[in-house]
Amino acid sequence: MKVNEVPQDITYYEGEKRACYALNDEGKYVVVKSTGWEAEDIANGLAVTELAAHLEETRKAVLEGKKSPLCYHMERRQMNADILGKSAGIAVFRVKRHFRPENFSKLKASVLERYAQALAVSLVELKTVPPSSQGR
Amino acid sequence: MAQELTSAGKPFSHLHSAHCESGVTAALFRDKGINISEAMAFGIGSGIFFGHLPFIKWVGLPITTYRSRPGTLFSKVAKRLGGEFITKKYHRFWWSGDITKQGMDDLRRLLREGNIVGLTTNIYWLSYFPDRFRFQFNGHNIIVLREIENGFRVADPVLDHPVDCLAEDLERARFARGPLEPKGYMYYAKSVRPDPDFRSACITAMKDSCNMMLRTPFPYVGLRGIRYLAKVTIKSPDILEAHEARRRLANIVRMQEEVGTGGAGFRFMYAAFLQETADLFGSSELADLSREMTAIGDIWREFAVVSARIIKQRGQTEETFAKAGGLMLICAGREEQLFRDLDKVARNLKS
Repeated sequence: MKVNEVPQDITYYEGEKRACYALNDEGKYVVVKSTGWEAEDIANGLAVTELAAHLEETRKAVLEGKKSPLCYHMERRQMNADILGKSAGIAVFRVKRHFRPENFSKLKASVLERYAQALAVSLVELKTVPPSSQGR
Repeated sequence: MAQELTSAGKPFSHLHSAHCESGVTAALFRDKGINISEAMAFGIGSGIFFGHLPFIKWVGLPITTYRSRPGTLFSKVAKRLGGEFITKKYHRFWWSGDITKQGMDDLRRLLREGNIVGLTTNIYWLSYFPDRFRFQFNGHNIIVLREIENGFRVADPVLDHPVDCLAEDLERARFARGPLEPKGYMYYAKSVRPDPDFRSACITAMKDSCNMMLRTPFPYVGLRGIRYLAKVTIKSPDILEAHEARRRLANIVRMQEEVGTGGAGFRFMYAAFLQETADLFGSSELADLSREMTAIGDIWREFAVVSARIIKQRGQTEETFAKAGGLMLICAGREEQLFRDLDKVARNLKS
């Protein structure tokens, strides 16, 4: 890859740039700043939109009363039951039980506190989901 | 190059790097007065690798990696260039007490003593990153320069300038739970050899890389890994749903380009290393190998372009999974030749 071939397609790093190795005119390697590459954007975009769609599905399920808000907040933090259980110090089978709204509503304040701490949200936030979809 | 002061009051020149671990390693050496580039650190740490592990799933997708296991690069460079490095990990036992507090206190103490400290962190909790790059990955390396009001001044090698990081964020990032837990891992240089033997370090490193790529007992790593992945990719539209096949392909491209590789899954960075060693030894053979590595990197880039078209479903007729897999096979064939030649050249070099 030559210096002038380093892709500068799109600026979706929110102003940040990343380093690419490329050959300069004398055939020496130099580090060149790149603002983004289309191919990379497509591959990453697929993963990002998938995550967002999944999160939105969960949010609707919570509003319909099929899942607990805990499930939404866990997915918003891109965790799974295993990581959340370890972070909060609660057994995985209990975490999975708490995804059901009827079990979640009965939880003690001390357990909720641990979930809120692990997910870095406030207690009030933990019990609700945002009324409309939003970016993570 | 941004000028920054460390806690010892020494100027710290932040170099924008492509990869976090090699960038941190190079920065630790440069702080001690050894002039080493990121590519050199990457090469001496034998960072180049390939692995496709179908039985380890990460967010439901098999892991594909273009570099060696996180953590090995740093320890290999430290061993080969010589120097006394101190590393510390915090284990959770019932008698350990509050390890989070211990970890942060130790970090503050080390900074006060005038060290710059490397840390392994979870990238999700580092809020200075753009949202798009925040995901639960426990192997991101950063350097802490000094303590500031309610936070730390952090030199993240992947960004082109040092940033501020909240103490709370750093605490979460260091003690995140999940696969490959960082456990507050931190490392700093106590002393390094003032005149490291670059020549013998390079020779050892090149032989090691050739071994890892050519002579592996497992079919999932090294060149056998590339061939295996190529075969899986060619077959994937027949055995998987169309959407799932595209997801898997997208994941390969992500691992190759997105996660800080300097382009083409570290191949360009390794070519830069070969170029530096060619100058070091005055060897024209190494210069030729560097050019060949660049050519291979260009094919990997082409593979990414073809894959992106498949993922976006553009030009359904000409771009197929078979073509993407075929490009990978070409890479495998040429890389095999390259590493065999490199092995021969490295054996004949005099340190």
